[in-house]
Amino acid sequence: MMTTATAYNFAFFDEGSKREIRRATLKAISIPGYQVPFASREMPIARGWGTGGLQLTLSLVGKNDTMKVIDQGADESVNAVNIKKLIENTTGIGKTDETSEATIIQSRHRIPEVPLTKGQILVLQVPLPEPLRAFEASELETKKLHAEKEYSGAWLMLFEQIMKYGNMATDADHPVMVENRYVMAPSPIPRFDNPKMNHSDALILLGAGREKKVYAVPPYTRVVSLAFQDHPFEPESFEGESCKVCGANSVFMDELVEEESGETYYQCNDTSYCIERLNQAQEEGAL
Amino acid sequence: MQLDLVHDVQSAYRMLIDSMSRPGMISNLSEEARKVDFQTECSNSLIVIALTLLDTEVTFKVISEHEAEVTQFINQLTYAKSTTADQADYIFILQDATDEQLQKTIQMAKHGDLVNPQESATLIIEVDEVTAGRELMLRGPGIRTEEYVHISATGDWIDLRAEKNGDFPLGIDLLFIDLNHNLLAIPRTTQVMKQVIK
Repeated sequence: MMTTATAYNFAFFDEGSKREIRRATLKAISIPGYQVPFASREMPIARGWGTGGLQLTLSLVGKNDTMKVIDQGADESVNAVNIKKLIENTTGIGKTDETSEATIIQSRHRIPEVPLTKGQILVLQVPLPEPLRAFEASELETKKLHAEKEYSGAWLMLFEQIMKYGNMATDADHPVMVENRYVMAPSPIPRFDNPKMNHSDALILLGAGREKKVYAVPPYTRVVSLAFQDHPFEPESFEGESCKVCGANSVFMDELVEEESGETYYQCNDTSYCIERLNQAQEEGAL
Repeated sequence: MQLDLVHDVQSAYRMLIDSMSRPGMISNLSEEARKVDFQTECSNSLIVIALTLLDTEVTFKVISEHEAEVTQFINQLTYAKSTTADQADYIFILQDATDEQLQKTIQMAKHGDLVNPQESATLIIEVDEVTAGRELMLRGPGIRTEEYVHISATGDWIDLRAEKNGDFPLGIDLLFIDLNHNLLAIPRTTQVMKQVIK
């Protein structure tokens, strides 16, 4: 049963809170990759559980939107379901699992496999927006480093990984350079998804609720993953593997272990993509 | 019918998002502007934008022959405080402003500093006409290859804006709005080039 909580304003927030986020978002779009501070209101979910993304979504959403929320590629995980319920209960808008039907896609840690289009906005939840935080604890200092485009620390961090492990050991959140100006944390998406940010058809907005920052990658913006000439950027490879359920290859997959046999197998991480393929195969088989 | 301060403001905001993230894309605010039932010296779409962006947290400045009236009106409507052109977060340049006033405002408006480039002004400029055209070529983030537009603003604003925005990320963002409520955004990242028509 769907109940619309009429005691709340449309999209939960009061209009003043929305205006504040909206102003910050427009600035973020005009300065791609730069983290714009914003007030980050208290939310009915805990900070660190997607409040940044949720606040962006609530400031954007209108009566005609269709919403998709994913968590690590899954539409049905607890976090995604709860966020969806909150949005649905305070707006009454429709939700979908199908990527191509959504106008706003809020996601934690993945960019969907189905290519995004011009009419869509991707909202990414960000736990740690500051790519330089690993070696500089002070916010004042990291802001100065960004101001001066002083990114030797970011390069050194990757260089040290190469010295220690023989390769760049970032698995998610591999830093990117936006329009040759700002080093940016792409949120903990796998390296596999980094290239999808470059020259994207859809607008990408990133929100960090606990750290009180919003930033943006406008469409058709240059986003380059940091790499060295002799150590090029490499996304995760699933060469020779295919999804056990739908047979897909060249997508991002989870490595799982069959408990009884002890064998490892692979499965699509993007669940709606996997189901879509299965449904399609079934329809074709039935014809 | 009255402007819905939740839903109409939301749709106006989404058009601002569309136009800002895709410079050259012209959005149309007439649906919202039609519902504004105040009588002032500025256009209805400007009022819609003021209601979308302004409140007590920000400051504004009006450049117009009717500055006093419009300033008082926007202040009463949004509770935003008016200030000088070099301090204001949002500057409304109405149609009756002269070329010199527009140029001077572009030069004076705050462009942020390197640590806080977001502390910069957004100029909302009323013009006769914003249409697709061949006159100006736009390039930069948000544009696949290039976009062409016609803006009926005169004077030296293109060069002065380029000078003002020379040191990215410092700069000002422009919103053009015409008499048919067409909205075009030129954020600081966009390069504007005059086309020589042969």
